[in-house]
Amino acid sequence: MISTNSTGEPALRIENLDKYYGTFQALRGINLSVQRGEKIVVCGPSGSGKSTMIRCINRLEQHNGGRIAVLGTELNDDVGNIDEIRREVGMVFQHFNLFPHMTVLENCMISPMIVRKQPRAQAEATARHYLEKVRIPEQAMKYPSQLSGGQQQRVAIARALCMQPQIMLFDEPTSALDPEMVSEVLDVMVTLASEGMTMICVTHEMGFARRVADRVLFMDGGEILEEAPPDEFFTSSRNERTRQFVSQVLGH
Amino acid sequence: MEMVIVAPPAPGRLEDLRRRFFATPLQAVVSLACLTIMVFLVWKLLNWAVFSAVFTTSGGPEACQATAGACWSVIAARWRIIFFGLYPYEEQWRSALACVAVVVMTVLSCIPAFWTGRRIALVWGAGTGLFYVLMKGGVLGLAHVGEEAWGGLALTLFIFVTTCLIGFPLAICLALLRRSELPWISRTTGLIIDGVRSLPLISILFTFAVVLPFALPQWLQGDKLYRVILGSALFFSAYQAEIVRGGMQGVATGQEEAAMALGMRYWQRISRILLPQAMRNAMPATINQFVISFKETSLVVIVGFFEILASGNAAYGTGEWRFAYVEVYAFIAFIYFIFVFSLSRYGAFLERRMSVSER
Repeated sequence: MISTNSTGEPALRIENLDKYYGTFQALRGINLSVQRGEKIVVCGPSGSGKSTMIRCINRLEQHNGGRIAVLGTELNDDVGNIDEIRREVGMVFQHFNLFPHMTVLENCMISPMIVRKQPRAQAEATARHYLEKVRIPEQAMKYPSQLSGGQQQRVAIARALCMQPQIMLFDEPTSALDPEMVSEVLDVMVTLASEGMTMICVTHEMGFARRVADRVLFMDGGEILEEAPPDEFFTSSRNERTRQFVSQVLGH
Repeated sequence: MEMVIVAPPAPGRLEDLRRRFFATPLQAVVSLACLTIMVFLVWKLLNWAVFSAVFTTSGGPEACQATAGACWSVIAARWRIIFFGLYPYEEQWRSALACVAVVVMTVLSCIPAFWTGRRIALVWGAGTGLFYVLMKGGVLGLAHVGEEAWGGLALTLFIFVTTCLIGFPLAICLALLRRSELPWISRTTGLIIDGVRSLPLISILFTFAVVLPFALPQWLQGDKLYRVILGSALFFSAYQAEIVRGGMQGVATGQEEAAMALGMRYWQRISRILLPQAMRNAMPATINQFVISFKETSLVVIVGFFEILASGNAAYGTGEWRFAYVEVYAFIAFIYFIFVFSLSRYGAFLERRMSVSER
């Protein structure tokens, strides 16, 4: 079990991270440190390595060089460490990835029950609490396919929260949604941020970044090119590539 | 010009028939001709099977030969051979009870309420245990009956059920090994699956029944029946493994990633997330495989077992009933039909039940 922070150990520390797909280098010497309670927004053009980077944090992708430490635990081939980190790191995917053969409630209960060995009653209480929090308690007995995209993504957030993680990763959580459903998901994320969750979000929702982020990262070509608080990032970026990107996403 | 569109009145049943079958004179002729042929065939069949048929054994085979109809008296006279084969006459009630045990076990394990690990293990353990004790005897005051004397429906059911009970888990293991990330494991498994699939079932049965004893030490050989069942289970698993693998390929990769991100271990991901969805995808092909396997049990006759079809041969094969083979085969076909048709309907029920969670 990972102790809650007392030593000043950052929630996440990434040093010189490299990742290859065959001969293609997807990440080049990434360095990043995230404190507890910090909210990071990662943006950049597609193929820039944003998703790959956050997928390395819970070992959905295996890195080839450098070090990753999550909540003080080194991420390496040790299966025990990987399990420990995955229990403490929640993830929300672009395509929700809800389990279609389970009800919304079961989606939220399964992992606490079989991974954290919680009794059913406790898992159900937790699940209902978080479904309430993402504002869809009435959908608990439905199957994912009966819900709208926005509702499904909120279930996915609730499902991740039911594990009571210390860090939440968001991989383009609103990119697959119809425009009118984006805000209901972002609202939930804003609430979560205001409660002090450590969050790393890959997103192009610049309004959200401005409102919530402590730092905005700009990635391109597998590198972090810029790292700044949102005000500075949007108004006085030093990097030409960043300025171009910002003007493109804010252009409309 | 003004057009007024009015929905045509819904045709009555007679009108509907007229439009479908008697719209033109030619169509009317063809329809009538087909109808006549159908009525004629149905009449011939009914006449043979029911009206002119002989049902009782009182007249013996001679009564049958005097009529043009079916001779069902052969079934009445020889049903014990068909159902029980060479099983000793006084003990045949045990074979009948054993069949009931297997059928009850199968039906129970088809009911969703029994789909927990403990209950299904209990049902299968009790069912096969009961079958074995009843058939083999030697305990509880039951006379000992060796496997070589088992036969008929009991043997067919036993071979089918044990083939599936052994073959299905083996198929899942093979399918999982074949998608292993370690190339030497996945390739070896692929080689085994493709190897077994490229052999005829008969040659596998023959090898396991006749050739294997030369290669194995005495204590490992077991009875021929169990070697044959192992061979047939291996054959079943090679096909079923590919069906399961196909089902797994239909599950989005995001499913396993989500399960990993939630901290589930390998077996938890497999058993809770991957397999339930894969089996749903694979359901139609799986039912198909079960049906094929049920009918393939008849091949064990080549290594000397009298399952139901071979027992049927014996039923008409001895002298006096020799002419009545059509009736015997029709009866056996009917028994096959009952089992296979139930299996298919059960498959349809499962598909309906599973589709509830998808839409």
